[in-house]
Amino acid sequence: MQEREMDFRPSIDKRCILIIEDEFINQEILRMFLSDSYDLVLAGTGTEALDVICTRYETLSLILLDLNLPDIGGLDILRQVKADSRTARLPVIVMTSDADAEVECLTLGAIDFIPKPYPQQKVVLARVLRTIELSEDRDTLRWTERDQLTGLYNKEFFNRYAAQLDIHHRDFPTDAIVLNVNHFHMINDRYGRSFGDEVLRRIAEKLLEIVEETGGIVGRNMADIFWIYCPHRTDYAAILDEVSNALNGDGQSENRIRLRMGVYSDVDKELDIERRFDRAKLAADSVKGSVTKVIGLYDSSMYEAELLSEQLIEDFPAAIRERQFQVYYQPKFDVRPSEPILSSAEALVRWLHPTLGMVSPGVFIDLFEQNGLISTLDQYVWSEVAAQIRCWKERFGVTLPVSVNVSRVDLYDPELVGKLQDIVTRNGLTSRELLLEITESAYTEDAAQIIEKVTQLRDLGFQIEMDDFGSGYSSLNMLTTLPIDALKLDMQFIRNAFRERKDTRLLEVMILLAESFELPTIAEGVETAEQLFTLKMMGCAIVQGYYFSRPLPPEEFESFMSQKRNLPPSAEAKGKKISRDRFTYDALHDSLTGLYNNSAFEILFHDADHDHIAVLIANIDDYANMKKNRGRVYVNDMVCRVADVLRSSFRSVDHICRLREEEFVVIMTRVTSSQKEMVFSKIESVNHTLREETEDLGPITLSVGIAFSDREHPNGDVFQDADSALRRMREIRQTGYAVY
Amino acid sequence: MTIDDLKAYGADTAEGLRRCMNNESFYLRLVKMIPGDPNFQKLYDALDVGDLGIAFEGAHALKGSTGNLSLTPIFAPVSEITELLRARTQTDYAALITQIRQGRDELAHICEG
Repeated sequence: MQEREMDFRPSIDKRCILIIEDEFINQEILRMFLSDSYDLVLAGTGTEALDVICTRYETLSLILLDLNLPDIGGLDILRQVKADSRTARLPVIVMTSDADAEVECLTLGAIDFIPKPYPQQKVVLARVLRTIELSEDRDTLRWTERDQLTGLYNKEFFNRYAAQLDIHHRDFPTDAIVLNVNHFHMINDRYGRSFGDEVLRRIAEKLLEIVEETGGIVGRNMADIFWIYCPHRTDYAAILDEVSNALNGDGQSENRIRLRMGVYSDVDKELDIERRFDRAKLAADSVKGSVTKVIGLYDSSMYEAELLSEQLIEDFPAAIRERQFQVYYQPKFDVRPSEPILSSAEALVRWLHPTLGMVSPGVFIDLFEQNGLISTLDQYVWSEVAAQIRCWKERFGVTLPVSVNVSRVDLYDPELVGKLQDIVTRNGLTSRELLLEITESAYTEDAAQIIEKVTQLRDLGFQIEMDDFGSGYSSLNMLTTLPIDALKLDMQFIRNAFRERKDTRLLEVMILLAESFELPTIAEGVETAEQLFTLKMMGCAIVQGYYFSRPLPPEEFESFMSQKRNLPPSAEAKGKKISRDRFTYDALHDSLTGLYNNSAFEILFHDADHDHIAVLIANIDDYANMKKNRGRVYVNDMVCRVADVLRSSFRSVDHICRLREEEFVVIMTRVTSSQKEMVFSKIESVNHTLREETEDLGPITLSVGIAFSDREHPNGDVFQDADSALRRMREIRQTGYAVY
Repeated sequence: MTIDDLKAYGADTAEGLRRCMNNESFYLRLVKMIPGDPNFQKLYDALDVGDLGIAFEGAHALKGSTGNLSLTPIFAPVSEITELLRARTQTDYAALITQIRQGRDELAHICEG
């Protein structure tokens, strides 16, 4: 047993050789030659030989083949061995005295010959040993140079073979092509890993077929990125179609797997291989997200962008050293109270480049994310921001939390937690003052590791905001598992919701969903009063955007802050106070009661889900008489009391508006006529409360007309029908409530 | 039977022995098997009925084994006849067969001695 275990090493295992030879004397001589060094299996007929090959191919290292056998010819055996993919790797040495047979044997895949009569033992041994070694080396090479899943060249070997092609075809125009699967990880998520693997295998197979025809090599660079290096061609669309058809068939299936391609045509061979494929990848990424354009060609504009990228990367260290990066601050407002409150800010970085001027983060953030420089930049920003928060604290005595970006690569930094804590401590801050924004897509990549890191940060008191939610592949599942404190909706997502054909349904669902996980939502990119109002109605907690303010350099932000927080204003800001949000608030609210006014009602009614609402129109009975007899102050008090009672009686999702002096409207959302008892009981309870006299006011009663969106025989819209219910009740001089 | 007997018979015993790693008894044991090789009869019979294909198989097998043992008196005519038969040459094989028979019979005689 022990001996066997000691032998359990591939290098000293005795290799096994199959000798196919029918002549006893030859068998005996070969046995004598080889049996000391190898395990031998003898087959005297072709049938026997094929049987051994079939059952023991995995343990055989070599076949010695005699061509003249009593049953099956040696050439046929060779042909069969080479045709079967399981046995094709087996090296075959042919033993023959017939020089003419040699060419045919070589063509069929024989690796060497041993002549007959046999040469001396040491010659035979040397040939056998060399053949086995070569074949094992070749196998090892095959395993290392190929991607295990697809059998394509891996990155390193692809590069070597491409370089070889260059040497032999120096002046031959050549293309670098990148092929990518759109949303590949979604395919893995939806259909499972093995389906994803099958997709990759099929792509590989098809690409090999394609280059087989025209020459070239194919590699799998990583995950779902395929590289093709081939003689210059122009039928890129045809290649893409062929691969796509191999995956999806010709039909227009709903769930087509979509591919995109980037081509760097007629490459500059002065560039190293990787750079050429960087360009092809750049071209492929230029059509990312486009439905109509699936092939990107590398062109001069990309070249210029590349030059710019190079310059930015080169200039980066100096920019950090010379503090060319400037942090701007964009205020975030808590819009839940009736008047928005400045609650925090987001730090945004700008680059004041000595020759290029102001460089937008849109230009450099992606770039620095790709090459990892973003880490340095992030840390720079964290330090700047922490120092700024401290400075404001010291000068104005207020704490305004500021959110900073934590990039994906930062999360892989084992020292991240320590670094952040150090920055906070150094500036005498608490961890709650530096808010951390982590982009949604970071979570999808390596969830377990990210979650662990984020949990550590939260345990230390840092608040985590998930950035760009809704921009990528937001899995609703993530909300249940991820350690986050707020959800920041992607700016583009909000813009889309408020396009010409305003459609905010999805936005509302997301806010509600976040709410149900007790996560406040933050909306960025808010530009208009209408957007703000709608978001507020939907329950969005924090709003950021040009509506309140553009991102401001620290000095300007200070004066902004001093207005909003009633800080002692700095000298230059005096006299410039423009209260834009106050203006909007007034425009949408009734000044007496603070309820929504007519204008707000228009927006709310328009935006409501007209399949699931009830409209209640309530009039104060006998209002005109009381106004005449008791005066304006009395009726105003009365109106305020009604407003208070309505506010406390209806749900937070219902909208209460004052349309005219004595007329109120409640838009109840998410109700149908099946819940009318609930609606009636609310009205009865309102009237019950109002009937009780107070110190200053006598009893008040309301007449209420009601219409549900799912009423039978509608005559007008739900508001008009509620109104006609109210009027009819008035006509027959009834009080209380009536349903249309 | 000794090596000298075989040498006198005309075998290239130096080469034959070298191929058998100078193991005399092994060499002699293999040589003794040659006269009884059924391929002689196969060759003769096939030529009698004019089946050159079968005759080639027999000759080719004999060429292999006598070659490896360097039994020149048989190997030389067997080699010659093998190449003719490989090309399916229609000729009179009698002279070559006689040489082969003599070589075999003589070897059989030595082996028995």
